[in-house]
Amino acid sequence: MHWPLGSLLTLAWRNLWRNYRRTLIMLLAIALGVWAMIVMSALMRGMTDQMVRNGLATLPGEAQIHHPEFLLDPSVVNHMPMPAGRLLEQLNSAPITAWAARLRVPAVLASEYASRGVTLLGVDPAQEDALGSLPETLLEGRMLAGADDRGILLGAGLAARLETGLGKRIVLMTQDTANNVADRGVRIVGIYRARLQGDEERFAYVGRGALQELLGLEQRVTEIAVSASDYTAVDAWLPALQAAASPELEVLGWTELHTFLGSMLAVQEGFVLVFMVVVFLVLSFGLINTLVMAVFERTRELGLMQALGMRPALILLQVLLESLLLLALGLLAGNSLALATLLPLRDGVDISAVAEGMEMMEMGTTLYPLLALDDMLMSTAVVLTLGLLASLLPAWRASRLDPVRALARH
Amino acid sequence: MSRTRSLLATLFCLLAIAAPACALDAATIVRQAMDHYRGQSSRADMTMIIHRPDWERSMRMQAWTAGDEKTLVRVTEPRKDAGNATLSVDSNMWTFSPSINRVIKVPSSMMGQNWMGSDFSNKDVSKSADIVSQYDHTLLATEEHEGHQVWVVESVPHEEAAVVWGKEVLRIRDDWVLLEQQFWSQDGELVKTLAALAIEEMAGRPVATVMRMAKTDAPEEYTELRTHAVEFDLELADSLFTLSSLRNPRQ
Repeated sequence: MHWPLGSLLTLAWRNLWRNYRRTLIMLLAIALGVWAMIVMSALMRGMTDQMVRNGLATLPGEAQIHHPEFLLDPSVVNHMPMPAGRLLEQLNSAPITAWAARLRVPAVLASEYASRGVTLLGVDPAQEDALGSLPETLLEGRMLAGADDRGILLGAGLAARLETGLGKRIVLMTQDTANNVADRGVRIVGIYRARLQGDEERFAYVGRGALQELLGLEQRVTEIAVSASDYTAVDAWLPALQAAASPELEVLGWTELHTFLGSMLAVQEGFVLVFMVVVFLVLSFGLINTLVMAVFERTRELGLMQALGMRPALILLQVLLESLLLLALGLLAGNSLALATLLPLRDGVDISAVAEGMEMMEMGTTLYPLLALDDMLMSTAVVLTLGLLASLLPAWRASRLDPVRALARH
Repeated sequence: MSRTRSLLATLFCLLAIAAPACALDAATIVRQAMDHYRGQSSRADMTMIIHRPDWERSMRMQAWTAGDEKTLVRVTEPRKDAGNATLSVDSNMWTFSPSINRVIKVPSSMMGQNWMGSDFSNKDVSKSADIVSQYDHTLLATEEHEGHQVWVVESVPHEEAAVVWGKEVLRIRDDWVLLEQQFWSQDGELVKTLAALAIEEMAGRPVATVMRMAKTDAPEEYTELRTHAVEFDLELADSLFTLSSLRNPRQ
């Protein structure tokens, strides 16, 4: 069978511009739809990406090693030894870029005027620096100098609540492994500012060695945080780490440690697709209407073509080509429009007006849209597939016209 | 050892009674005042009055102490609170409440909170004798007060002592009665004061029978401890300071 594609394409293209006003309106609708799909998914992707990053910065790490009971009962009773032997070797080998052994215990900090419950982190600043898990902004004073620093690093929000400040002494109270009260006076050596106000009041940092001494836990820790700097590629190295750790330890990736973030990311993928399909379903009614009208206007013409010997399949193809051209033009315009919107927003959108609500989702005050090639390809695929499916009906009707009746129409 | 030393210091002081200011060292004065206040052991019958501008409530209680580290307090009145008890051994603390019939260990997170709704914290109750060993003491001045000599001692907590105060100022009378204990913030502000409002002779020694703890910025909110009777240096069974005695009073 002969397929005169070239002339069909010319016919389709010219037909498209016979009623250019209608075509332009339809183009505008498709372009806006595509623009909305891409921009919305970029904003959503930016949001989840930031949530995951913020979440992993405070988790911290993309994987953690614990005593198997620790996650159920985060008490100092469930401690474990510092990494050694094969585990230490594995931690120091690629692709793992940083790890930190830390003590995480619930504690109470008391000043002359108030006392607050906090999560006290006994850290080795050198290890934490590599992991990037220490607060970024120091307002006053200094960071912890080493694992044996006897001072404490407090958030500005917590210091304000305790009505205390840099250089003052506060009392740190916690429980040792025998559930006895362990307390000591500590001097505030630094005040930090966290990106999230909540973190500032929740976390206080002390030297790991100093905390081990207070709790009577020589060379013991409660968690080891591990990072390879890319949260999407954890599965590549996690099994090796699990194999290297002794069977009495639990090694978990972040999707299991922070299940909310894990499922969040999985749901988002599906959500983007659902969103695109919904937007396009709305569009498709316009598209079908346009094509039905185009076919209806040309009933006589189509009847004449058939009478002259054009096969129904070619008529079907011609209408589909017309629709394809319309969709392709719409996609081109939509994608360019989306790029033109997103590129200037690369440095972030200020959303501080709704910062309080966003903070509950572990978001900062700036939203960084994240344009993914996948999203652009997906929107193109959705529009083309569904668009052609929607055009099938008018195209089918055009190809099934009875030439005699069609020619008799006025 | 420290007792013999303080005894020697007292002797020395008695010998040098003619001297205008007795060269007693500040740590010994504080040690003596605490020993005087708690005795080797003691049993006291007292009322705690919690006063606020719009309400006031009082609780009658019995308290036993042994050494610096053991304290048992049991509420006897009013009836709805009777039987509530607190035991403190070393730095740990337990409470018992008959209405729920449970002994609860006071977790470290609660040690800073107030004790039975008063202006004393759990820590004040469980660590009342810490001031002797956890502070550096300096004698600031010696005053005359109602015919008694009064020592003013400044006590600064050790760098890593579990104490929030910048310093405490104690005024101790020459018969070892603690007249006043001031709690100063690290900014040099007076935060709260424990003052002896009445002193009487009891069990053969002068005792501060009314003591009031009040915050400086809210003088209308205070807690008063009124001692009705007290005995010192009696034989107390070790079994008194146990969890089972906390739950089942035998006295």
